[in-house]
Amino acid sequence: MSGNGNVTLTIDGTEVTVPKGTNLIEAARRLGTHVPHYCYHPALSVVGNCRICLVEVEGMPKLQIACNTEARDGMVMRTRNERVEKGREGVMEFLLINHPLDCTICDQAGECKLQDYAFHHGAGVSRFEDEKVHKPKNVSWGDRVVFDSERCILCTLCVRFLDEVAGTDEVSIDARGDQVTLIVKADGKLTSPYQMNIIDLCPVGALTSRDFRFKSRLWFMQFADTICTSCARGCNTTVGVRDERVLRMVPRHNADVNGDWMCDHGRLHFAIANDDERLSVPRVDGRGVPYAVAAQRAADLLREAGDSAAAVASPFMTNEELHVLKLICDAAGIEKRLFLNPVGPGDELLVHSEKSPNARGAALLGFEAVDQDCEGVQEIDVLLYVTPREGIALPETVEARAKRRIVFAFHEREADVLFPLTTWIEKDGTVVSAGDRVQRLVKGFSRFGSLLTERAALEMVLQALEAGFEPAATPAQAFERVAAALAPFEGLTFTGVGAHGAPLGRQEVPA
Amino acid sequence: MSKIQEHRVMLKYADDPEQATLAGYRHNGGYKALEKALESMTPDQVTEEVLASGLRGRGGAGFPTGRKWQFVPETDKPKYLAVNADESEPGTCKDRQIMELDPHQMLEGSLLCCYAIGAETAYIYIRGEYPHSIKATERAIEEAREAGLVGKNILGTDFSCDVWVHPGAGAYICGEETALLTSLEGNRGYPRIKPPFPAVEGLWRCPTIVNNVESLACVVHIINNGAEWFKGLGCEGSTGTRLFCVSGHIARPGVYELECGKFTLRELLEDFCGGTGTGRPIKGVMPGGSSFQVLTPDELDCTFDSDSVQKAGSSLGSGAIMVFDDSVSAVEVALNIAEFYSHESCGQCTPCREGSDWVRKLVARFCRGEAREGDIELLMDVTDRMDGTTICALAEALVWPVQSYVRKFRSEFEAGITRRAAEHEFGGFSKPVESVP
Amino acid sequence: MRPVSGNGKFSAELVKRVEALWERYPDRKAALLPALHLIQKERDGWLSDETIRDAAELFDVPDMHIKGIVGFYDMFHGQPVGRHVVRLCKTLSCKLRGADELRAHVREKYGVLNGETTADGRFTFKCFECLGHCEVAPMMLVDEEKHTELTTDKLDAVLEALA
Ligand SMILES: Cc1cc2nc3c(=O)[nH]c(=O)nc-3n(C[C@H](O)[C@H](O)[C@H](O)COP(=O)(O)O)c2cc1C
Ligand code: SF4
Ligand code: SF4
Ligand code: SF4
Repeated sequence: MSGNGNVTLTIDGTEVTVPKGTNLIEAARRLGTHVPHYCYHPALSVVGNCRICLVEVEGMPKLQIACNTEARDGMVMRTRNERVEKGREGVMEFLLINHPLDCTICDQAGECKLQDYAFHHGAGVSRFEDEKVHKPKNVSWGDRVVFDSERCILCTLCVRFLDEVAGTDEVSIDARGDQVTLIVKADGKLTSPYQMNIIDLCPVGALTSRDFRFKSRLWFMQFADTICTSCARGCNTTVGVRDERVLRMVPRHNADVNGDWMCDHGRLHFAIANDDERLSVPRVDGRGVPYAVAAQRAADLLREAGDSAAAVASPFMTNEELHVLKLICDAAGIEKRLFLNPVGPGDELLVHSEKSPNARGAALLGFEAVDQDCEGVQEIDVLLYVTPREGIALPETVEARAKRRIVFAFHEREADVLFPLTTWIEKDGTVVSAGDRVQRLVKGFSRFGSLLTERAALEMVLQALEAGFEPAATPAQAFERVAAALAPFEGLTFTGVGAHGAPLGRQEVPA
Repeated sequence: MSKIQEHRVMLKYADDPEQATLAGYRHNGGYKALEKALESMTPDQVTEEVLASGLRGRGGAGFPTGRKWQFVPETDKPKYLAVNADESEPGTCKDRQIMELDPHQMLEGSLLCCYAIGAETAYIYIRGEYPHSIKATERAIEEAREAGLVGKNILGTDFSCDVWVHPGAGAYICGEETALLTSLEGNRGYPRIKPPFPAVEGLWRCPTIVNNVESLACVVHIINNGAEWFKGLGCEGSTGTRLFCVSGHIARPGVYELECGKFTLRELLEDFCGGTGTGRPIKGVMPGGSSFQVLTPDELDCTFDSDSVQKAGSSLGSGAIMVFDDSVSAVEVALNIAEFYSHESCGQCTPCREGSDWVRKLVARFCRGEAREGDIELLMDVTDRMDGTTICALAEALVWPVQSYVRKFRSEFEAGITRRAAEHEFGGFSKPVESVP
Repeated sequence: MRPVSGNGKFSAELVKRVEALWERYPDRKAALLPALHLIQKERDGWLSDETIRDAAELFDVPDMHIKGIVGFYDMFHGQPVGRHVVRLCKTLSCKLRGADELRAHVREKYGVLNGETTADGRFTFKCFECLGHCEVAPMMLVDEEKHTELTTDKLDAVLEALA
């Protein structure tokens, strides 16, 4: 027996103690046992309609659904035995009798729970020989989501997500019996800014992304577990890449940040990573040069200008990059250290009003947030400017106030020294997300073989300014330097931050 | 003259045309039970009395009514009564008699229940296909409201209770108690997973009692005459009188109020109801609506009460006895039943949504004489897999009767297998099977 | 909560009745079924997509929710119907007493199958599951009137009297 809000039960012969109120799927999960389920999701209401999570509970005459059965003290439950398998096999067969089985052309193939479970819990042969029920296929639900009713197993995850999480309640069910199908509002278009999460939620290929449809079979992709950088939330993501291109971004579970969701804006905001017109080599006075040459030129300009230079950082830079930039400012005696801080409307679910991933890191490293008119950049000789992301920039008039310009940018532009900017998917590093949480960016690929990250490029500039400086050998070492320099980072390690981030230390972070 | 006599308690004044009016009802002793309860009994005493009477629910499941009322938790939340007047079980037409002929009786029973459980609102969910019941009940409520029997401070006491008719719109599943609640809240009538049970979390997540019309009508007489009197009627396990609807091939179809345990099912059908009336022998009897097993002529000698019929392999269910003679194909009856449930499956949970129509298609194959070798085993297996794996009991209500037809009339199913079609008298059907979408 | 008033799409009388229904429940949505019966009556016996939108607006619920309700309940019609709706019970008790023959007769004589409307628009014919008049089977409901212990003659007399 276990008191204080816990209960102890036996699952497949092993005892486990879980908090009171835990259901049997979650209790089994503690032991690493997967109880198959379609309609259950820990963040949504429990409806128990798919019936695949049948388990045997001693003392109960019928098989029970694990999703709606609360773990109790002394309970003895089995997730595997002949009776349970027979029950699941039955449910699988029912799910498949009217299913079109068009796996060969289905986007979900490879991550389809129907395919998966059919393999593990299905009998293999269909005993259903009558005409299958035909339902609408290829139904547009607006610009982003396409629905196939024949593939739909009516788990209602999508219905519940939109109602309970996104708060837009815009999918419902029509008809009765085996004719049931999903319907959307009269104009046929979903409106939720979170609607694409239903594609990830859908356990089968009934909901597909118009953006991703037929782009690639799953098994040809590689994946990077990183975060979204379109706002300060820093939703954890998995980016699917192939041939140095981003094919899709999907949310990755993080209970402390985004749960299982992300916003559509963030999800779809990756065109820049696939842009072939991007700058790939540094330029000096318009001519392509090696990084060392550009770095030397930049260092010379900064040294000459000294106090009459200004640095405008970007909140899209990692802490490590910002740290090197700070060291450059120290070395060259630059006092004006600013960063552009784009803001916009947020919402109550995830979207943050800070439209960049690392305004907090920039502030911690001593850069001052400015709006786009930035008064600070008035009479200066040299401007060291890391541009933020497409669509956000200093007004040209501000840039024009400087006599000389060292700029990091995605595209060709006028500057004395021009460094190519890299995207979030091309670098390792850390940012400080909303809630003062340190999170890691993970590199998925480098777009052009020759491209260096901002950290590497800035380190070269710093080396040119300060002969003794040694660039960090690894992302972990770069992080250690930041951690050593900033009190709030005390106690954090690169591995400790890991794939799910870690909160900053006790120290208050300047707003 | 049959030895079986009707014993009319609930239907005592059903033939009095004035009974549906408040004046008529009161003239015949109506609202005495409510007066008695409000004047001299605490709510708990009402519940105790109902519990002691042995009354079991008349909607089909037979759960002890008093016990159910005791599940209502102490809470500050509002409590509700939902009267189940969805009467849609094939063969069942008894609640309709009460509502059309004696609606105040149901109303009085509902008020007694509300008083016992502390509810201040009752909804009477009447199936939409009962316009006459809806009108009669609405009229009764209006009259009662005007007379201070419904609304604030009923009969001058501090018991207040509003009662409203809520019409359904044609969906058998809404008779299932949790589906009834989902439907009442303004949704598609989806059954809910239990737990929680409605008595704990029902309408708008508040404690809600769901009771059948006849169960509530019984409460009136239990309060008037006492639990002991009620227990003296019928037999153990089936106390009181019960309404039975006898239909199909039967000489005297009708709704009869009877005491259980006093005669056999055969006596009821052959003596009291005059046999099939077609000149042909009984072939099958469904004693409790279409949701339970069929009984064959050799199984009719069980005593007529819940427990004995259950021992005989079926159930008295909702009190609907359907009889057919030997001119009828058992496979065709099974198909009619399968069509019913596949049409009525709400489509929420996998085994029933997909399975019920599969079963219909399979039975139809037998009916057309196009079944294949192995189809009997397949039909039994598919139905087995629907049994006990669904959200509500609708799937079982399909599985149990269909399996009983296969078991008891196997040769007719075998005859539906192509090769043997020509060899059997029920092998081929001249009538095309037109199914209702 | 928005003020109690119609959305100008329905008759004042209907809106008044719907508002009275709202008073009965802690949540207005609960009045949907009774209200849809009234609305269906006011809109020629069926619930078009436009009517559904109007009703959704009146109730302040998403339209597909009402569409899903119309698709669930047999008494709500998502397609136009004739001036009268004839519901013939097809379930066991009625079947045993001649429902199949009545159905065949309707098909022969009036040329309509389950769900169809006569060419003259007089009535829509629907086979319904058990209508709860098993002791007086076979039976049909014509609009809100019931006709029991039917024979083909009796059925003809009722249908022929329909305007
Ligand atoms: C599929 C299904 C249909 C049902 N239909 C009805 C019905 O039409 N009327 C009814 O009173 N009970 C019906 N019931 C039983 C109810 O769920 C519930 O047990 C009953 O209303 C409780 O009332 P009682 O205890 O007074 O019998 C049905 C149950 C199932 C599973
Ligand atoms: S579309 Fe997908 S998520 Fe939605 S109900 Fe169907 S299977 Fe479930
Ligand atoms: S909420 Fe912010 S971090 Fe999350 S996906 Fe959207 S833009 Fe990206
Ligand atoms: S068993 Fe059938 S009727 Fe009951 S919830 Fe499941 S699908 Fe609906």
